[in-house]
Amino acid sequence: MSDQTQQMIDYIKSDVIRRPDIQIDENTPLVSSGLIDSLALVDILMKLEDVTNKRISAGKVQPKDMDTVGLMFATAAKVGKPRK
Amino acid sequence: MPARTDRGNGMSRTHVRTLVEALATAPPERPFVTMWEDEDDVHTLTFGEFTRFACLQAEQLRAHGLGSQDTVVLVMQQGFPLLATFAGAMLLGAVPAILAYPNFKTDPAKYSTGLSGVLANLKAPIVVVQDESTETLLIDHLPRTSGTRIVRSAVLSSGRPPMPDIPPDPDRIAFIQHSAGTTGLQKGVALSHAAVLTQLDHLVAALRITESDSIYSWLPLYHDMGLIACFMLPLAYHLPVVMQSPTNWVAQPGTMLQLLSERRCTLAWVPNFALQFLSRRVRPEDRARFDLSALRALVNCSEPVRAQSIDEFVKTYESCGLRSDAVKSSFAMAENVFAVTQSDVDGTPRRVYVNRQQLLQNRVAVPVAPDAIGSACLVSSGRCLAGQQVRIIDAVGRSLPDGEVGEIAIHTDCLFDGYYGRPDLTAQVLHDGWYWTGDLGLYMDGELYVIGRSKDLIIVAGKNIHPQDVEHIVCQHPAIHDGRAVAFGVHNPDLGTEDIIVAAEVENENQLADRVQIERALRDAIVAELDVAVRSIFLKPPRWIVKSTAGKAARSTTRQKLLDEHPELRRDQPIA
Repeated sequence: MSDQTQQMIDYIKSDVIRRPDIQIDENTPLVSSGLIDSLALVDILMKLEDVTNKRISAGKVQPKDMDTVGLMFATAAKVGKPRK
Repeated sequence: MPARTDRGNGMSRTHVRTLVEALATAPPERPFVTMWEDEDDVHTLTFGEFTRFACLQAEQLRAHGLGSQDTVVLVMQQGFPLLATFAGAMLLGAVPAILAYPNFKTDPAKYSTGLSGVLANLKAPIVVVQDESTETLLIDHLPRTSGTRIVRSAVLSSGRPPMPDIPPDPDRIAFIQHSAGTTGLQKGVALSHAAVLTQLDHLVAALRITESDSIYSWLPLYHDMGLIACFMLPLAYHLPVVMQSPTNWVAQPGTMLQLLSERRCTLAWVPNFALQFLSRRVRPEDRARFDLSALRALVNCSEPVRAQSIDEFVKTYESCGLRSDAVKSSFAMAENVFAVTQSDVDGTPRRVYVNRQQLLQNRVAVPVAPDAIGSACLVSSGRCLAGQQVRIIDAVGRSLPDGEVGEIAIHTDCLFDGYYGRPDLTAQVLHDGWYWTGDLGLYMDGELYVIGRSKDLIIVAGKNIHPQDVEHIVCQHPAIHDGRAVAFGVHNPDLGTEDIIVAAEVENENQLADRVQIERALRDAIVAELDVAVRSIFLKPPRWIVKSTAGKAARSTTRQKLLDEHPELRRDQPIA
């Protein structure tokens, strides 16, 4: 698991779900499993931008593209643009 | 038939008796709906183009066998085809009803089962979808016994079918909008053209809406705020509206402010949580590009109105030209078409400071100084619109004096007649022409203050969730003792809305060792059926839930017990 992935997982556990003890890996469904609400995706997207140093147009991101940490990085790679 | 005229200071809408006539008389070249996906995907239809698209939908629906007065259910994504199909059905004299579109979290089987319940209640012969995936989902999962056909909406073509020739009848049902509940338990509110137009006339007068106004909306169209204020209002009064879908907005909340700035929109409606969401989830560096000076009324509606949320929003965006009095308040519900009250268009919603203990224990508002110890701030939802009456009543329907807390009952000139096909549910809430809303409030100096719910309803980001629905899902799990689960809402001060908390007893104490798996399964089931995430699930040993004398789980007492055991859940609890 990369540092970036671990950084996202740690953020989601501590700042979004607020349960550091919960078990999450890059394939754990987050939205479809009810662990996080759609409203939290905007925070996660901003964090993903910071972690990847990319600008990600939220208009091109569907909630299903953010359901796991693995999908988040795949989405960033697909639609993200380097920050100026 | 006499012409309708305005009843206040707003613009007048003359010589129309139905929504169909209102659409038919719109200036064809005037912009109507702008649908915004992103900067590269923005499309506007004029009233003429929209009406032509609606006529295409009407022709297609008629070809599918839909007749005048048939009900038709629309399961479509927010966009032009949905709007045009809704209008097209009305052009035919049919009765459309919009249901929430299934998303990737939705369990297809559960959605379809719920949908079949709605179809049976509405006796709808047709469900309209617009894409193959929804069609496949419904065909695969809808119970075979429903007898309903699933058809596709028309695509926008160059055809110019004539407007269907349906005699105008103001008392004909225009459409059905749904009140709270899971898909299967939703209550259909049938509304006549006359009721809708009457409500819109009152709203226009109260907000002094003129031809120079324009509307912005991200609200879903299966909700009264989105359907009435942001679709029927501009349709009937020939105003432009800029729309984006809720999913589009929630991923990028700043786009609302961007569109308000660029399009110079003057009116918008939002639930309370959106104010805090916009204050906290938009990057500060983005604010420099917003110009909110055109926005004259941002109406806070459908959730209890909170002073903190309003203040935070105004403070965050005052440097963007936001007027200090731009945020208004309203008390509205599907059963009344929409609004009952509206705060003064010229100022901010009135506030009173009352003694919190007196309010909670003695159910009476005793005014105190704002900085007094134990003071609570109540924000007014405004005064009654024309044609609306409000009473505060006790448990048996007796009127209470000003300042006393009771259930809000309304009697209006645009009230529904009952829930479609459900006289049993209607009889529970309509009493001698008065609708008992289930909301708690008080009246003071001619203004209504909504305090909370008397029916345990949980409101999450403007979405109504019945605790019974959550509890039912939880109790389906084999490890949970049947009937021993409670769900309730707690205020989330970070979001300005409620979170759902669940407490449930396991059948056997040994099963607590599997709490992680059980909790995960419960979350899965709840989000699949209700499309909402639960904040915390507390699994408890047998006999932990407090039972009522009837042997049922006592929700309020169990809630108190859980809050006592877990004080971290009491994060800045509001009044009620």
